[in-house]
Order: sequence, then C-alpha cells, then structure tokens
Amino acid sequence: MQLDSKIPGGPLETKWDRHRFDLKLVNPANKRKFEIIVVGTGLAGGSASAALAELGYNVKTFCIQDTPRRAHSIAAQGGINAAKNYPNDGDSIWRLFYDTIKGGDFRAREGNVYRLAQVSNLIIDHCVALGLPFAREYGGLLANRSFGGAQVSRTFYARGQTGQQLLLCCYQGMMRQIAAGQITMFPRREMLELVTVNGQARGIVVRNLLTGEIERHAAHAVVLATGGYGNVFYLSTNGAGSNVSAAWKAYKKGAGFANPCYTQIHPTCIPVHGDYQSKLTLMSESLRNDGRVWVPKQAGDKRPPHEIPESERDYYLERIYPSFGNLAPRDISSRAAKLMCDQGKGVGSTGLAVYLDFADAIKRLGRKVIEERYGNLFQMYHKITDQDPYEVPMMIFPASHYTMGGLWVDYNLMSTIPGLFALGEANFSDHGANRLGASALMQGLADGYFVIPYTMGGYLGGTPLTEVNTSHPAFTEAEAAAKARTEKLLGIKGKRTAASFHRDLGNIMWEYCGMGRNDEGMKKALKLIADLRGDFWQNLLIPGTDKNFNQSLERAGRVADFLEFAELLVTDALARRESCGGHFNEAFQTEDHEPLRDDENMCHAAVWEYAGEGKDPIFNKEPLVFENVKLAVRSYK
Amino acid sequence: MIWVARIFSTSIGKKQLMAVTGILFLVFLTTHLLGNLSIYGGIEAFNAYAEHLHALGKLLVVAEVGLVVALIIHVTLAIILFFENRKARPIKYAVDKSGGGGRTLSSQTMPFTGLLILAFVGLHLANLSHHIVDQTNRTIFQIAYEVFANKGILIFYLASMVVVGLHVRHGLWSAFQTIGANHPKYMPFIEWLSIFFAVIVAVGFGSLPLAILALK
Amino acid sequence: MSGKNINLTLKIWRQNSPEDRGRWEIFQAKDISTEASFLEMLDIVNEQLALAGKEPVAFDHDCREGICGTCGCAVNGRPHGPDRETTLCQLHMRRFQEGDTLVIEPYRARAFPVIKDLVVDRSAFDGVIQAGGFVSVNTGQAQDANNLPVPRDDAERAMDAAACIGCGACVAACPNAAAMLFVSAKVSHLAVLPQGRTEAARRALSMVAQMDAAGFGNCTNHKECEVECPKGISISNIARLNREFIKAGLASKE
Ligand SMILES: Cc1cc2nc3c(=O)[nH]c(=O)nc-3n(C[C@H](O)[C@H](O)[C@H](O)COP(=O)(O)OP(=O)(O)OC[C@H]3O[C@@H](n4cnc5c(N)ncnc54)[C@H](O)[C@@H]3O)c2cc1C
Ligand code: FES
Repeated sequence: MQLDSKIPGGPLETKWDRHRFDLKLVNPANKRKFEIIVVGTGLAGGSASAALAELGYNVKTFCIQDTPRRAHSIAAQGGINAAKNYPNDGDSIWRLFYDTIKGGDFRAREGNVYRLAQVSNLIIDHCVALGLPFAREYGGLLANRSFGGAQVSRTFYARGQTGQQLLLCCYQGMMRQIAAGQITMFPRREMLELVTVNGQARGIVVRNLLTGEIERHAAHAVVLATGGYGNVFYLSTNGAGSNVSAAWKAYKKGAGFANPCYTQIHPTCIPVHGDYQSKLTLMSESLRNDGRVWVPKQAGDKRPPHEIPESERDYYLERIYPSFGNLAPRDISSRAAKLMCDQGKGVGSTGLAVYLDFADAIKRLGRKVIEERYGNLFQMYHKITDQDPYEVPMMIFPASHYTMGGLWVDYNLMSTIPGLFALGEANFSDHGANRLGASALMQGLADGYFVIPYTMGGYLGGTPLTEVNTSHPAFTEAEAAAKARTEKLLGIKGKRTAASFHRDLGNIMWEYCGMGRNDEGMKKALKLIADLRGDFWQNLLIPGTDKNFNQSLERAGRVADFLEFAELLVTDALARRESCGGHFNEAFQTEDHEPLRDDENMCHAAVWEYAGEGKDPIFNKEPLVFENVKLAVRSYK
Repeated sequence: MIWVARIFSTSIGKKQLMAVTGILFLVFLTTHLLGNLSIYGGIEAFNAYAEHLHALGKLLVVAEVGLVVALIIHVTLAIILFFENRKARPIKYAVDKSGGGGRTLSSQTMPFTGLLILAFVGLHLANLSHHIVDQTNRTIFQIAYEVFANKGILIFYLASMVVVGLHVRHGLWSAFQTIGANHPKYMPFIEWLSIFFAVIVAVGFGSLPLAILALK
Repeated sequence: MSGKNINLTLKIWRQNSPEDRGRWEIFQAKDISTEASFLEMLDIVNEQLALAGKEPVAFDHDCREGICGTCGCAVNGRPHGPDRETTLCQLHMRRFQEGDTLVIEPYRARAFPVIKDLVVDRSAFDGVIQAGGFVSVNTGQAQDANNLPVPRDDAERAMDAAACIGCGACVAACPNAAAMLFVSAKVSHLAVLPQGRTEAARRALSMVAQMDAAGFGNCTNHKECEVECPKGISISNIARLNREFIKAGLASKE
C-alpha cells in the first residue's frame, strides 16, 4: 500500500496556500459535467455537499436518517474552536495548532493540523453570515468560553446546542442547493457497497430503507462523511444509527484504515443504570468549569454524599493535576475516574460512578448563576436520573464518545483509493491519539467547507476519468454482493436478535479494549469477538423481509460490520506498543499511572490494509515527521 | 392586483381577513351595546337612541353594507378553513387529549358558535331590524317588548349571548395574534381583555331583554 | 435512582405500509423498570416480539437525547407523551403507574403519511425549508464575524426560535394539523437577525406558500403546538410570522 501524505514542502504557514496554487482548477463551465456522491450529512458531509454544489458540481447526497438535519452531529453540545483571539487572551493560529498537536499526544500530522487551525476562523465567519445565533456579549459581538482543558477562551457556542445550530447551517445550505437543482438528496439510504472502476471510486450501491430496493449510483468521485465508530462499544454517546459500515466497505475495497485503536472515552456521562440501557447521555464538559469531581477517600464507603465530611473526600483531579485540576483533558480525566473505581472508591449502586459536585460553586456564585450557565444540562440530568443536581451531587462516569481513527487520507483528504475522499470523524486526519473538546465540529466543517472544495477540483481537474454508468459490470457485481449478503443474513433464521449480539460485543470491547487495555485482555477479546461473530452467523434472527422498511435488518447489517471491525480495532491496539492519548496499554505507563509514549518506535500512523476474507490485515505505517514542534511529555500537572 | 388574490388565498392571508372582519364585528358589538345600554336611562332614552340612529341615514346604510360584506367574508372563509382543516387530518386520533393550557372550550367550538351566531343574527334581524319590522305605529321599545315577551325567543336570545361570549373569548385575542400583535409585554393584557370582553358582551346584551321586560 | 418494575398494557397502532389500512394491537409490557426510557421500553417489547417470531414495532429514533427530532408518536393522545418540554426518547417510565394502559399511535396528518407502524414521513418540512429557510450566502463570501454586531437580546430571541428540532409534534398536536409553529420558528430565527433581513420578505411569502401546498392545515390559535413543543417554542413566533407576512405582502416588491 502506497502511503504518500502529499504534504507540501516549505514553511508550515504557507503550505496550504502553496498547495492551493498547485492544485488544478476545473473551469466553471466544466464543473456541471461532474457528478459527486457525498455519503453522510453531518457537519462534514453537509458542508461538503453545500460547498461543492455552490461551486457548480452536481452533487448526490445520501444519509440514513429521514432528513439531513438529523445527522448525529446535531447532538454536539459544547462548542466549536477557532483561533480568532477575540478575547485577547493570547490565542493564535499557532497556539491552536500546537494545542491540537499536543492534545493529540503528538500522533497527528503537522501539515494537516496547521491547516485546520488556519481555516478555523473562516468557519465562524461563514456560519455567522448564515445566521447562526452564537452567544454574544452585550456589545453585540461574539462571546467565547474556555472549553475542554484549553487555557484560552476560543470556543464559540450557541447555548448547549452548538452542534445543532452548526448542522442547521449546513442543512439550510443544502436545502438551498436542492431547490436550485444542484443537489439531489437521497435520505433513508444506506450505503452497502463502494464501486470502483479501474481502481478509482466511481459509485455506490445503497439500500432504500423505505422500500428495500437496492439502488446503483454512479459519479466521478465519492466522498464518505459517515461519522465515527464509537458504537462498536454498544453503549456510547453516539446516535443509535451511527455505524462503521460505510467506512468498513471502503476498507474492504482497498482503502487503508488508520489508527482504529484511538477511541475517546468522555469523562462526564450519566452512568449506566440497567441492562436494558440503549445509550449513554453526555453531560457537557463545560460542567467541569464549575463542578468538582470527587470520590470518598475510603474504598467501599457507601454513605450518601452529604454524610461524607469534607476531610473524607478525595478531589482526585485537583490532587493529581494541580494546575489543570477538574479541567484535565478527557482521556486523563476518564482514566482517573476508572482508576478510582478500580480502587473500590466508585459511588452509586453499581460503584461505577464518581461525583461531580456543584455545592461549592452554588455557594460561591449563587444558584442563579449556576442555573444560567448550566440550567438546561441540570434539567436534562434531572429528567434522566430523577435526581436534582442542585441538591445532590451529579454522578458521572466515562463513556465511549468519539473515535480519532478512521479511513487514512492524504493532505487532500483522499483515501488510498483514488477518487474516494473521507471527511469529518470518518477520517483519521487531525486529532492524533486524542481529540480536544470543540475540535471535532471545527474539523468536520473545515474539511467540508474549506478543504474539499479545493482538493476535489484538484482531483477532477488532474485525473483522466472514463465514462462510467450504472450498467458497468462493477455495479452489477457490487449489487449482487449486497444482495447476497442480505439474503445470507435473512437466511440464518436463528434465535438471537442483532441488538443482543451488539450488546455482547459492546461488553467485550468495553471490558478488554476500553479505557485501560492489556495484552492478555486484548488477546482474549480477539478470541471472544471471533466466537461471537461465529455465533452471529449461525444464530441471528431477523424478523420480516428485505422488501420493505425493516429496522431489524438495518441493525443486523451494521452489527455484522462491527463484529468484523472490532477485531481490527483490537489488533491495532495490540500492535501499538505504547500508551498515547485514547489508547492506554497498562504495560506502558509511568509510576504514577500516566501514559508512556514511545516516540522512537511508535511515532507513526498505523494503516491497515484488507487482505481478503479470513486473512490477517496487512500492517503499513506512515511515519510522522515533526519539523516544527518538539515532542514532549504531555503533562497537565 | 394579482398579488392581492395571491395573498388572500394563502392560509395566513385568509386568517388575517378573518381577523380583520372579526375586529370589525367587535367594534360593532361595542357600539351596539353602548347604544342599547340607553335602556337603563328609561323607555324614552331607549326610543330616542333608536331615532337618532335612524336619523344617521346614509351613514347607517354604509355601516350596514360594510357589516354585511364583512359577514359574508367572515362566514365564507370560516367554512373554507373549516373544511381545509378537517382535510389536513384525515385520520383522527383514537385518544385526543389536550396538553392543558392549549385549546379551550371556546377555541374548539368556534365553527359551531359561529354557526349559531349566524342563526341568531338572522332571527334577531327578522324580529327587530327596521328594514324588516314595520315601525310606523310602534316604538322600538314596544317592538322589543313584544318579541321578548315570547319565552322561547327570550331563552334563545339569552343562550345566544352566552354563545357570542364564547366566540368572542377566543376571537378577540386570536385576531390580535393573527395580525401579528403579540408582544410578551402586552399579550397577557390582551388575553385578559378577551375574557373580560366576552363576559361584558354576554352579560351586557343578556341583561337588555330582562331590563326591557322589567320596565313595562 | 431507586427503580421498581411495573406492568403495562400497550395498545399500539400497526400499519405495514403507507397503503395498508392499519389496525390496533394489544401487548403486555411486563416488568418494565421505571428507570427505563420510553424507547427502551419499546426496545424490550420489540425484543420479545422478535423472539416470538413476530415483527417488532417500527419507530423512529436516533440520538435518544432529545435533540435530533427523530423520535415521536402520540402516547395517550399527547405527542411525545405527557411530560412538558420532553421528547419521547427523554420520557421515562417512572411517569407511569402499575397497570396503566398506553395508547400509542403515529402522528396523524395528511402531510405526514404513515410509513410503517409509528414511523411517519416528515419530508414536507424539508420542502418548506427549501422554499426559503436559509440565508443565500456561498461558502467563502463572508466578512469577519465580528463586523456585524447583533444585540444580545436579538441573538437570544433568534436562538429561542432556532432551537426547533423539526420533530413535527406541533403538527401532530394541532387540531388542524397546521405547521405554523415550525414554519414560524425558522422565519423568526432568521427575521430577527440582520443576516436574515435581506431575504425576509421573499422567505416569508414562499415558505408560507410551500406550507400550504404541502397540505398542512390553517392555524386557529389553539396553542396546542406551544404546549407540546419539546423545545418550548412560543407562539409569539407565529405572530412574528404573521407580521412578516403582512409586511412582505403589502410593502415588499415580491
Ligand atoms: C453527545 C456528543 C457531543 C459532542 N459535542 C461536541 C462538541 O461540543 N464539540 C465538538 O467539536 N465535537 C463534539 N462532538 C463530536 C462531533 O459531534 C462529531 O465528531 C461530529 O459531529 C461528526 O460529524 P461527521 O459529519 O463526521 O459525522 P456525523 O454527524 O456522525 O454524520 C454521519 C452521517 O453519515 C450518514 N451515514 C452513516 N453511515 C451511513 C451509511 N452506511 N450509508 C449512508 N449514510 C450513512 C449518517 O446518516 C449521517 O448523515 C460530540 C459528539 C457527541 C456524540
Ligand atoms: S431520538 Fe433524537 S430527539 Fe428523540
């Protein structure tokens, strides 16, 4: 597998400028001769669809929800970063770049991340012009807050609904282009196969989820913006429909999959409370600005929180990380919570929770201020748990939230398959081993609004493409494969539902390849996953048929892919002989339980190549070169 | 003028015509009530008021024509909206429950109270209008007394006033809302005014026949 | 979090396809934890149905945290169930009592045809947004974000309206199946911001025209939409739409 990152040479600050100049352009009259398929309508796919359509390309956009506005990006709460430095507190493009690289534990490409920081400001400008009601100061200018462990206030937000408002910008932009005839929208479609012709991505095969019909769609290029694979853990903060299937199909057609073991566990989620549970709800990280995290000092202390005196509480984040305290980055806070629970200090009926306490903040600021800042979050917590966080400390626990790994892409966001691009959470590009808060929204929109419009032109303008339509044998073949698989799934007629297999898979992954990993556990996981997959293909039960709307069938297909993908995730985790960011192998830690990187041997992206059914995936690596920053221990003490 | 037709064929346009004509009726109700309250000044005052009114001549005709046109618009649109709204929900809910604080008896019965009011207006004009009833040898008081001496008519009249009150209770604030006059500062007052006005109309008009009967 | 278990009777609308006439089916939901959400309760029932060889009840959902607007059906006549400002996915079973009967049916509106069981087609909303629910600015054209001050109160009011999740509960709750709350929320969001003023007149006229064409009913100010809206969107937005409509109709060149 050829892994050319295509990072332009020269100084970091001018790489993107120079690259844009070097990229081929497509003349305006020719743009309408090109068709582009975009799969996914989250921030990445939505912005890409709108921006490409505005340029005059013919765009066909697909999503599994009933309308693009419901993509999972809608759930993002906290905010979006940009290097505007409006608060005059020392931010700059360089600092955003550096923070992102460091936050990613030095496992991302300098060139990509610098570009991300550069275009971040344009995103804010564009979204404001589109009417996004960002929070404002009384003077009428934009407000910022500090978020996710950053020491500058660079996060723009719209109450606790930033993702929603950003997605509505993309959605409304798309609706405008649909009305203009530039985008054809295909909602309730699930991509089942990627179609390649002469090694180039030329189309997709989808299932119409309403009618069950298998449809073929051809284009000159395909953009995947299908989100992350956090649902491999079954319980996660992701939407129920989030899946790895589209990326997995691309992988099986030859696209490299990079760093699947980098998964982010978010520290502030509402703990699990029953085995019927279907999802975990995130409580925005902003809560940690005022809440204090603690557990009883004494393991096994089952007293209710108000009976535990101050002197018997361990505010462990403040104790271990005095300079960042409760604002320590996600991976660090999550692991610390796990450590406390492993030591038997966890609280709540399951012992799998820690307190997030606002009593001090309420005393200091008054209930009204807290209500203003977090009212909607407190209300949400109250609704779900039936407990009033103004009176009783919240209980929180880490949960799977975001996945840094994804399809390998070069500087142009193109995968190892020519003509196949990957955007947003679906690619691996910018966050290294750990993502900072409020940076995923930034990356999705940077990719869609400000990178792909250029690099797509570069590809289409500079690549000879033959005429291909949907009667090409490659489409026939892909359709046959998709149908055969559906038939196979329906033909099993076993005794267990896809949901129950999914739950079992989640348990395996959380237990053996979650926050703290070790070789023994991971090896065991590989075996358990293989067994579970075997059972799945023997014992799966899907009610109904493939001829109409069948949610059980949809679910089964996605779980089948997760069952294959999980193995790759664990394989990658085993191969990474270090701890970094979201990947923590207990064999690689310092004395005080901090992750221990191995920059000498592990400073690379691990890129996996599909070798065929039943064969071990092939390992490739893209070495990471740091010319501008010095690799340092990522300390938040 | 195509734009006028276009605007008034939209749902909001129709509703706004309903609102404007409705407000006209509210103004009419107010003046009508104020005038008729002269009954409390005695039979003479009441008869004098009627004569003054008729002395307005052309002006009165203009007002009458205006009211009839408004009535035709209001009723026609009501019928159109009623059927359009029924069509918008072809299958009804098995359980149809209000969340509380939403629809009221008054809002739900608007089409029906409207219809009843239409019937009442017909009867009322037939009984009392100077265009229909010969007034040459009788004072308006005598005519009214004879009409209300009929128990059936009296009861129908009183019931109708309750119906008018119900209609006005939703109609008044609704008209303001529909022409866009909803401001967080003033809306509570308008909603309150709706109820107040409804009571005044029902009690005010309702008391008239009783006063007439009592005066003889 | 002290949960207990309750038993319920569910009367659920079943319909195989848009053409199917549909029917009622009755299920017993046994031993449901009061800590479970409403959708988790349906998950449990569906798991049992599947194992018994029957087709599970189709229902739409995605985020399960009250923001995507995918979920929704009528529970005992109330869209999203009995709680205020709560989506169906955030409704918890502790709201119900042992032995309750729940009548569960899809949103009923001509503009929202049933796809299957509790799933309806709300694409009419997309059509309304396509008619003008946007600001016509292309990527890359914008000036610096702070060149355009917006009074804080205006931004807040815009956000109040923009919080709409497009779930359709307003249409479902309206005795006339009108979509005025939805349409007015988008018109208001953009009308109170300077960015949206440029196209305000066109937007109001064409979105209303599209709303009518899609087969929604007419607003008669029952306020049920406001009561059932999971995001607490106020009918003062409807009044603003009415105002915008007058302005556009009488004063604009459109
Ligand atoms: C609860 C929560 C809060 C968050 N808060 C923040 C925050 O405050 N700040 C921040 O920066 N980030 C946040 N994130 C992360 C961020 O929201 C996501 O990383 C980002 O939105 C992903 O966007 P995306 O466009 O890549 O994918 P998504 O929004 O996940 O979109 C995926 C799209 O692909 C489609 N799709 C998927 N599979 C298929 C298929 N097989 N066929 C067809 N279509 C398919 C889906 O329909 C969907 O349209 C949060 C995440 C969560 C879960
Ligand atoms: S499932 Fe997203 S709002 Fe209920």
